[in-house]
Amino acid sequence: MKHHIFLFLLSLAQVSLVAQTRITGQVLDANGESLTGANIYIEGTYDGTTSNLEGQFILESSERGEQVLHIEFIGFKGYQKKVSLEGRAIELSQITLKEELNELTAVTITAGTFEAGDKKKSIALSSIDMVTTDGSSGDVYGALQALPGTTTVGESGRLFVKGGDSRESKTFIDGTLVYVPYGSSSPNTSVRGRFSPFMFSGMMFSTGGYSAEFGQALSSVLSLQTNAMQVEDQLNISLLTVGAELGGTRSWEKASLTSTLSYYNLTPYMKVVPQYTTWDQEPQSLAGDLSFRLKTGKSGLLKFYSTINRSKLTSIEENLNQPGSSISYKLVNDNYFLNTSWIGEIRKDWILSTGFSYTNNMDKAAIDSMKVNEALQGTHAKLSLKHRISDRVKILAGTEWYYKSYGMGFPGAETGIQANYVNNTLTGFLESELYASSRFITRVGVRFEYSDYLKRSSLAPRISTACKLGAAGQISLAYGWFFQDPDDEFLLYTPELEFERADHITLNYLYNKDQRMLRSELYFKNYRNLVRFGWSEEQDYTFINNTGEGYAYGLDLFWRDKKSIKNGEYWISYSYIETLRDYLDYPEQAIPNFSSKHNLSLVYKHWIEGLRSMLGTSYHYSSPRYYNNPNSQEFNGELTRAYHSLNMNWSLLLKQNVILYFTVSNILGYEQQFGQSYASTPGPDGIYSSKPILPGAKRWFLVGCFITLSRDKSINQLDKIN
Amino acid sequence: MKKTTLFVCAMLIATVAMGGNEKYYQKMGEALSEFSACSTVEDFQNLANKFRVIANVEKEEWLPLYYEAHCYILISFMGDLTAQEKDAYLDNASALIESMTELAPNEAEVQVMTAFYHTGSLVVNPPQRAMSTTPLIHAAIAKALVMEPDNPRALFLRISNEMGTASYFGEDTAPYCAQAKELLQNWDAYTLKSPIHPSWGKEEVEGIVRNCGE
Repeated sequence: MKHHIFLFLLSLAQVSLVAQTRITGQVLDANGESLTGANIYIEGTYDGTTSNLEGQFILESSERGEQVLHIEFIGFKGYQKKVSLEGRAIELSQITLKEELNELTAVTITAGTFEAGDKKKSIALSSIDMVTTDGSSGDVYGALQALPGTTTVGESGRLFVKGGDSRESKTFIDGTLVYVPYGSSSPNTSVRGRFSPFMFSGMMFSTGGYSAEFGQALSSVLSLQTNAMQVEDQLNISLLTVGAELGGTRSWEKASLTSTLSYYNLTPYMKVVPQYTTWDQEPQSLAGDLSFRLKTGKSGLLKFYSTINRSKLTSIEENLNQPGSSISYKLVNDNYFLNTSWIGEIRKDWILSTGFSYTNNMDKAAIDSMKVNEALQGTHAKLSLKHRISDRVKILAGTEWYYKSYGMGFPGAETGIQANYVNNTLTGFLESELYASSRFITRVGVRFEYSDYLKRSSLAPRISTACKLGAAGQISLAYGWFFQDPDDEFLLYTPELEFERADHITLNYLYNKDQRMLRSELYFKNYRNLVRFGWSEEQDYTFINNTGEGYAYGLDLFWRDKKSIKNGEYWISYSYIETLRDYLDYPEQAIPNFSSKHNLSLVYKHWIEGLRSMLGTSYHYSSPRYYNNPNSQEFNGELTRAYHSLNMNWSLLLKQNVILYFTVSNILGYEQQFGQSYASTPGPDGIYSSKPILPGAKRWFLVGCFITLSRDKSINQLDKIN
Repeated sequence: MKKTTLFVCAMLIATVAMGGNEKYYQKMGEALSEFSACSTVEDFQNLANKFRVIANVEKEEWLPLYYEAHCYILISFMGDLTAQEKDAYLDNASALIESMTELAPNEAEVQVMTAFYHTGSLVVNPPQRAMSTTPLIHAAIAKALVMEPDNPRALFLRISNEMGTASYFGEDTAPYCAQAKELLQNWDAYTLKSPIHPSWGKEEVEGIVRNCGE
């Protein structure tokens, strides 16, 4: 018996006395640089070690037989090797780990594109920027006008990109189209975007050469991603000199619901601050929003957003056709917008995105006694599938359906004229991203569109490529064809039209290092098939066709520096453009009135720690724009004044949950003029009478107070109030 | 003789039963003892690797993941790293937190580490991220305190957060000093579930109390 136990103990001892196997080696990256801190271990065992400063390691293991050795390091693909452990030393010499391609380290295509998101490396403009870039007063589109490639067109407020007019720019929220992204306003006054920048956590603003995923836009695409699920119960109160907003959020484990009610009325403000525009009823609006988020499964997120808005205004304008008299312009706008999307990983490396949007917009205008109604109903459904074949090859495929019904009516008119058209557009797109290495990417795509109203289809190729030059610089090139339906007012009369077309070539250089970014871009755009209309030579019939054409080329520069000045940052944006067009009722090629040759924006922001304040100032300049004077022989031959505006804003963090906000635009009171409007017929003296198109007021002031009450805090706040 | 045999057998059974577990505790203990000596990125990376090796073997245990994530978050607080590098380390931590939340969905300490992770993410770029991450920090601390109202680390994070805010806005910090003192007094009353369960934080609270005294 004793003997047995002895033997048993001996065998136990043997287990731990087994000779160890020693594995040695060196871990390197593709450039032969040693990797320090790589993790080396035997699968399923506690035997592991870390590489030293020279990348070398010694791993000792008492395991026996066939085992798997793993080497892992952040940012690199894992390395595995079968080893046979028999007590004899194993020398692996040099092991080279391959760099893993991921969004943060690999080259991305930047031609034409500004991207912003939490972790995007080249953040151009975040939602915070949109609020603190003064002059914009929290308007998404106003803030984008501080980026190169855009032109400030004061009498519109919409996006005009690289020689394109505003309807060539489209806005998408969570992948689906927003048919009416701007609010309504009286003629020749600036509009604002319908959506608050705070709704969004990411954006992609492309001024050309965009992916095959986007269509129906000749000039630019703004794609906005709304916030993810809210995790805290909150009550938000905004008090502004022009209105108030109240929002509440309820959150659960896997869902959140936010509802907002807002009311704006500019009457008190406009009574106090002198206006150029004469108002019979100052603009006012009432809106209600509902937003719901639901996490589904492990990675899915369902988003739902819906907003309903009514706004109205009545302005009084001088009647140029009957000097001395005036006309009133009354507008009531009703807008309903719904947007829902679901994105989730349906299988490993397969991401499905679905989206649906619905817009119902009604503008009821009354010009004196003449009534004009415009009604738009639109839907957009989108389904796309992204498959990551490997870290080097990704494929995106999708299909969309657009439905649009647009109608115009004159309810007061005796004849009861009205017109309507309905268009269904079906699209398909396919695109692949190929990485030759982490330094070189090519994206090739194609987009197909068919319109049942026009009975036409288009096929648009898109190709772009980017290459890293050194650690901080990269160059990218994009080429593509872009198609768009003619404007509603033409489609209303005839379906006998073609798609309008623009071809883009964009060459971009980006340098991004240590919080400093330089972006320069050269581009050329060629327009064809633009809609033209007018009288035939004999003046006996009107024509409308697709013989319009044009071009634009230019240089965009953008420099942003967050490093040189402590607590401060600035950016400089400059655009130069040469463009000519012959479209609409132009008698000849001319520089369109929305284009100014030079555009400059200087933005500076400074954080004053002691005052818990963000001070921002900006200066915008646009060179004179052309406009047409019917009294002159030359078409589009007159020039406006150059546009200057110096703006300031101040955000003060009063308490953790209270922000005070002040902004003033055009502090110095530069005279701004956006053109000249003319009578439709000449007076008795044969001269068309006119008046300048001016901004609504010389300056714009806004004071606001934003209060957030979260669950814990709200108790404190309520205690104080009681 | 028989007795001896029985005793040896019992010992053997116990050893075999404890076998894996004992090694787990031993390896965790070894790794944890190195925590205090870590000061550089390399040190913490080294230590994170050790926890990784343990986690690879003990696939049902959340503690190795917890400490590995802790190492990466601590790295993200270090100077000399670019925002991009910090985010890369935090992404690692985020993936670990996701896995351990699956293993231990009702564990207060997991929520504490989640709050700590969001704090790390906030610190990378406060003006840009304050608005999105602050609610996430609050939510994680609140969740932890629901799961375990007396969890000292959750209480510590809450006090230090609120105190930081109060002092930033020039408000009275005395109530938080009192809370910190109370927390310190009760610190040792909290019983750890095992010697390898999280126990950090006492020094930090002592620091707060010391500052209050001045």
